[in-house]
Amino acid sequence: MILAVVRRLATVVPILLVVSLLLFTALRVLPIDPAAMSMPPTATKDEIEIARQQMGLDRPLPEQYAIWLAQVVTGDLGRSTHLRRPVAGLLAEALPATIELTALAMLIAGSLGLAGGLMLFALRGDAVEAIAETGTTLMMSIPEFLWALLFILVFGVLLEALPFTGRLGPGLARPMVTGFLLLDTLLVRDLAAFLSAAQHMILPAIALGIAFAPPIMRVLRSSLIDVYHEDYIRQARLRGLSETRVLLGHALRNAALPTLTLMGVQFGFLFGGSLLVEVIYSYPGMGNLMVDAVRNADLPIIQAVGLTYCVVVLLINSLVDGLYLVLNPRLRPR
Amino acid sequence: MIRLLRRYFYPSWIRSGRVVIGLLIVLAVLAAAILAPVLAPHDPAEQDLMLTFQPMRLGSPFPLGTDGLGRCVLSRLLHGASLALKVAFIAAIGAMLLGAALAYAAGYLGGWVDWTIGRAVDVWMSFPPVVLSLILMVGLGTGASNVILAIILVDWTRFCRVLRSEVLVVTRRDHVAAARLLGFTHWRTLLLEVVPATIPLLITLLALEMGIAVVVEAILSFVGLGVKPDQVAWGQMIADGREAIYQAPANLLAPVAAIFVTVAGFNLLGDGLRRTLDVRLVEGRG
Amino acid sequence: MSLLVARGLTLEAEVEGDIVPVFRGLNFALEPGRVLGLVGESGAGKSMVGRTIAQLLPPGFRVSHGTMEFDGADLVAMAPEHRRSLLGREIAFIPQEPLTALNPVLSIGAQLDEHHRRLGVRGRRTLREYALAALAAVHLPDPAGLLSRYPHQLSGGQCQRVLIAMAFAGHPRLVIADEATTALDVTTQAHIIALMRELQRASNTAVLFITHDLRLAAGVCDDVAVMYAGDIVEIGPAAQVLGASRHPYTRCLQLANPPMLGTRRALYALPEQMPGLRALARLNGCRFAPRCPVKADYCLRIDPPLEGDLHRSACLRPGLVETIEVADQLAPPPWRPAGETPVLALDHVSKTFTTGTWPRAVEVAAVRGVSLRIAPGEFVAVVGESGSGKSTLGRLVVGLEQPSAGRIALAGTDVTAGDEAARLHRVATVQMVFQDPQSALNPRRRVASIITQALEAEGAKFAVREKRVRALLAEMGMPLELGVRMPGQLSGGQRQRVNIARALCSVPRLLVADEIVSGLDVSVQAQLLLLLHRLRQDHDFALLFISHDLSVVRHLCDRVLVMHGGEIVEEGPTETVFGWPRHEYTRTLLAAVPR
Repeated sequence: MILAVVRRLATVVPILLVVSLLLFTALRVLPIDPAAMSMPPTATKDEIEIARQQMGLDRPLPEQYAIWLAQVVTGDLGRSTHLRRPVAGLLAEALPATIELTALAMLIAGSLGLAGGLMLFALRGDAVEAIAETGTTLMMSIPEFLWALLFILVFGVLLEALPFTGRLGPGLARPMVTGFLLLDTLLVRDLAAFLSAAQHMILPAIALGIAFAPPIMRVLRSSLIDVYHEDYIRQARLRGLSETRVLLGHALRNAALPTLTLMGVQFGFLFGGSLLVEVIYSYPGMGNLMVDAVRNADLPIIQAVGLTYCVVVLLINSLVDGLYLVLNPRLRPR
Repeated sequence: MIRLLRRYFYPSWIRSGRVVIGLLIVLAVLAAAILAPVLAPHDPAEQDLMLTFQPMRLGSPFPLGTDGLGRCVLSRLLHGASLALKVAFIAAIGAMLLGAALAYAAGYLGGWVDWTIGRAVDVWMSFPPVVLSLILMVGLGTGASNVILAIILVDWTRFCRVLRSEVLVVTRRDHVAAARLLGFTHWRTLLLEVVPATIPLLITLLALEMGIAVVVEAILSFVGLGVKPDQVAWGQMIADGREAIYQAPANLLAPVAAIFVTVAGFNLLGDGLRRTLDVRLVEGRG
Repeated sequence: MSLLVARGLTLEAEVEGDIVPVFRGLNFALEPGRVLGLVGESGAGKSMVGRTIAQLLPPGFRVSHGTMEFDGADLVAMAPEHRRSLLGREIAFIPQEPLTALNPVLSIGAQLDEHHRRLGVRGRRTLREYALAALAAVHLPDPAGLLSRYPHQLSGGQCQRVLIAMAFAGHPRLVIADEATTALDVTTQAHIIALMRELQRASNTAVLFITHDLRLAAGVCDDVAVMYAGDIVEIGPAAQVLGASRHPYTRCLQLANPPMLGTRRALYALPEQMPGLRALARLNGCRFAPRCPVKADYCLRIDPPLEGDLHRSACLRPGLVETIEVADQLAPPPWRPAGETPVLALDHVSKTFTTGTWPRAVEVAAVRGVSLRIAPGEFVAVVGESGSGKSTLGRLVVGLEQPSAGRIALAGTDVTAGDEAARLHRVATVQMVFQDPQSALNPRRRVASIITQALEAEGAKFAVREKRVRALLAEMGMPLELGVRMPGQLSGGQRQRVNIARALCSVPRLLVADEIVSGLDVSVQAQLLLLLHRLRQDHDFALLFISHDLSVVRHLCDRVLVMHGGEIVEEGPTETVFGWPRHEYTRTLLAAVPR
C-alpha cells in the first residue's frame, strides 16, 4: 500500500512539473507587465525598469522559469502585486480554510451518496424508481453555486436562520493554532467561536456536498446492480447467506470500488467547486484569493494558487489510488 | 415496410419520456433565445433609474420586475438565453470534436500515442475545471468567443477520457481484427467498425456537456470573467441579484431558475439517451 | 425414501405478457447417495431444475403446480427462512464458473471462515483448523499459504476445489453440480470429477449432476435423465439410457457426438435448434417432434407420457429409434499431388509477451520455436489446453501478432516482416474465423454486408456483392432472407456460419479457425462440422483448426499437432497420434477425455 502510494507520487512529480511549466508560460505570454503592476501608479519608467531587473523579468524565459521553480520548491512563492504581501503567507491562511470546507463537503457528499445509492438500489424494479431517478437527474442539474445561492435565499434571507458571510460572527476572536478554524476554536476551548464557525460552515458545506452527491448515488446504485449479477453473489445466496449478509459482506465492498474511483475524480471537481461557493459566501479561502487575484491580474497569486490546487488534487488522487489498492486485491501482484 | 418506416420515423428513443421532455425543454429555451428580440418587452440594456427593483407582477410592463438599474428582468433573461445556448452548442461541439479526435487516436492506435494523450489528460485533470477555465480566461480576456474557447480547452478531457476507454473496448473486438484481415485500411476500419459503435456514447456525452457549458458560462460571467460587460448573461444577472439580495430576492431567483431549467433539459435528454441507446456511462460533474 | 422428489413440477414463465409453460409436470426422484445426471443441450431447462430447488428463479418464473420435495418437505411451499437454513448445510451447490463464483475482494480464508461460521464453527483457532482441513480434503497443496490468497491468484481448477471444499464442508445430503467442469481444461476436469466422486462416496451424498456432455454423464452418473425443451424425455440407469436409448433425441445426440473410439463415422446433424422460451407456448404434443426424424403427425398433438419401469422414455414410436443411423465411414479428403509448396510454413517461430510494468516486467514465452508445414488442402489441428499457446500461434499466422523470432511463409512468400506488402499478401491468402461470433460480427452491419466485407475492401460494385451474397448464403445452407438480418437476430449456429462465410468470401488458401465449435450445442456443432466437410469437397482450402476438443479434431482433421507450454510436443496423422500417443503429455490428455 505505502509502496504503491509512493509509486503513484513518483508519477505526480512529472505531472506537476508539466503543470508548472504550463502555468508559467500561459501567464507569461499575457500582455500584463508584472513589474508595472507591483509598483505604485506614480512610478516612473526607470523605476519600473529597475523593478523589472530585480524581478528577473529581463532574462530569457527558460531562465525565468528555472528561477521561479527553484523559488517555489524552497517555499518562496513571490509577492502579491496588489496586496503587497508574500504569497506564501496568503496561502497559509487560505488553504486550511478551503481544506476544512471541502473535507466537510466531501463527507456530506459521501454520506448522502451512500444513503441515496442504497435507497435507489432498494427501489430497483419499483414503480417509484423512475421518479427517484428523475429526481437525481434534476438534482444533478443544480450546480454547487446555484445550491449556494438557493440556500442563501432560503436559510439566510427568508428564514434568517443561518449566517452566510465570512467564517466567524462579529466580535469573536479568531484563534490561530493550526489554521483549521473548527479545530482551533475547540483547542482554545472557545465554544461561542466554535458554534459560530460551525454555523458559518453549514450552508457552504452542504451546498457543496449536496451538489456532488447525486453522481455518487448513481454510481453506487449501478455498481450494486452490476455486482448483483455476478456469480459470487448467487453462490453466496446458494450457500444460504441472508440478504443483509450478502449486501454487507459481499456486494457493498465490490460496489465500493467503482464508487471510490468516481469519488477520486469528483474530489477534483468539488475542490474546484469550492471556489464559487467561497466567493458567494465571502468565505476567505483559496477561491476568494484566486478570484480576487484574477480580477486584479495578480500573477504571482494566480500561479501559486493554481499550482496549489493541482498539488492537492494530485495528492488526493494518489491517496484514493492507494485506498483502491487496499480494497481491490486484484491489482496486487500475483 | 411499415415496420421499417416506423423504425425510421419512430425510433425507440422517442418513446423515452426523459428524452421527449428534455428535448421539449431545450427546444423551448431555444425558441425563447431565437425569438428574444421579438418576445422581450424592453431593450435588455435600457436603464430607468426611476423604476428600480420593481416587483414581479404579471400584466405590468415588467412581468418579472426590474433590477437595481431599472432594467427589465424578463428581457434580460430572454437575451441571456441566446448567449447561454450559443455558448452551449458551439462549446460542446468543439469540445467533442477535439476530445473525440484524440480519443479515437489514443484508443485505436494505442502505444505511445495513447500514452502521450493519456498523460495530457492527466495533466488537465489535475486542475479543477473551474480553476483552469479561470486561468484560461485571464490569458484569453473576456468575450463570448473566449468563453467558448476556454470551455473547449477545459472540457475536451471529459470526452477524451470516457470515449478512449470505449474505443479501446471496441477496438479489441474481433470484428475489428477481422476487418483488417479482410483488407480494410486503418481509416476504413476506424470509420466503419469502431466509430459507429461509439456514436451513442458520443451523443449522450454531447447532451450532458451542453448542460455543463451553460453552467460554466454562468460561472465565468458571475465572477466577471465571462462575456463583455455590455452583453447580457445569466451569470451577470446572478451577480447583480446577489448584491441586491435583500431588496429583490426574486431577481436572483429568476436567472437561477433559468439555468436550472436549461441544464435540466440537457440532463434529461442526455440521461434518456443514455438509457435508450444503452450506453454505459459513469460520469461525475463539476 | 427418496431424498429429492419432483412431483408434477410445473414451472411457468411470463414472456411479454404471455404465460409459457416451461416444465409441464416434471417427475423424477433422487435416492440418497446416488448420482443423477441431467443432460441435454442449452435451453433444455437443466439448470432451471437446480434453480427451482433453491427457489432462485429468474424474474417472471414461478412454480404453478407440483412439488419439489427434499427429505419429505416441499422446497417450493416452504418458508424462505426454512429453505435458506437448508442451503449450504443440507443442500450445497457447485457452480459452473469457478473463477467468478468466489468473491474477488475476499481472501480464500475469509470466505471459508464465513461459511464455517454459518455452519456453527466458532473461535479463531478452530476456524483456521477447519479451513485447513477443508482445503486438505480437496487435495490442495499448501493449505496454510492458500488461506491468505485471493481468487484471482488461483487457477480455475484450484478455485473449483475451494468451492467443492465449501460445498462438502457441511456434510450436505444433496449436492447440485451445475456444469461444474465445463469451464475447465480436460485434465483438470478429470481431476475434479475424481475428487467429487471421492467426497460423494465418502459422505454418501446424493448428487444432481447437470451437464451437456453425454459421455461425461455416462462416466459419472448412476442414473441419467435426458431433457429437451423443459421435458424429461428419457430417464433411467445411465448404462441403459446411453447404451440402448429409447428416445430419438437421445439417439440423435449420441450420433451427433464425434466418437473418440472406433471408426471415424459420419455425424448426425439434427436440423435447426432447441426451441426458445417463447416458442414453448406454441409447442403442443411432443416438443421434440418438429425436429424428430421418425415423427408421425400425431406426435405433434399428443403429449407422450414417460413410460417404462426402470428405464422410462417419453416417445410414441420407440420402436423406430434404432432406425436413426449415420454412415459409418467418412468420405476421404480430396486427393492432392505430393510435393506442392506448403501453404503455410513456420520455422522456429517464437513469441514472447511482456507483462507487468518496469521494474517488475516479466517476459512470458507464449510460443517457443514452433516449426510446421501445411500442404494445400490439408486439414491440420492444433490441440492443447488453455495457455498452451495455440491461439497465439493462430494469431501469428494471420498477422494479428508479430513473431519475436523465426520465419513465417505463406504460399511460398515470406511474411515475417509484417509490413504492408506482407499484409496484402496475407489478405489474399489467409483468413481467420474467430471463436466468439458475438465479438467477431459487427452488430451494426447486416449479414449480407458482413459476409461480403472482403469485396467491400476491394471496392466491388453492389451487383457483384449481391451475387456473392446469394452464392455464399446458399453454400452455408442459409435462406436468402437472412441476408437482411442483423447478427443479433441470428441463432448461435447461424452466427458461426456467417463468421465462416465472411472468411470464405474471397476464397482464401488457408483458413485459421480458433475454437469455432466450442461453446455450441452438440447438434449445432455437428451441423457445422458437416458444413466444413462439404466445403472441403467443393473448395480448395487448407485449414488450421485450433481446438481443445479432441473428439472434434479426430473427426475433422488429417493431421494433429499437440501443443504444451508453447511448444509442439507431438505431431502426426490424427489416427496415429490418438491411437499410439508417444509423448507423456499427449497420453495424459487422451486419458482425461471421457469416452
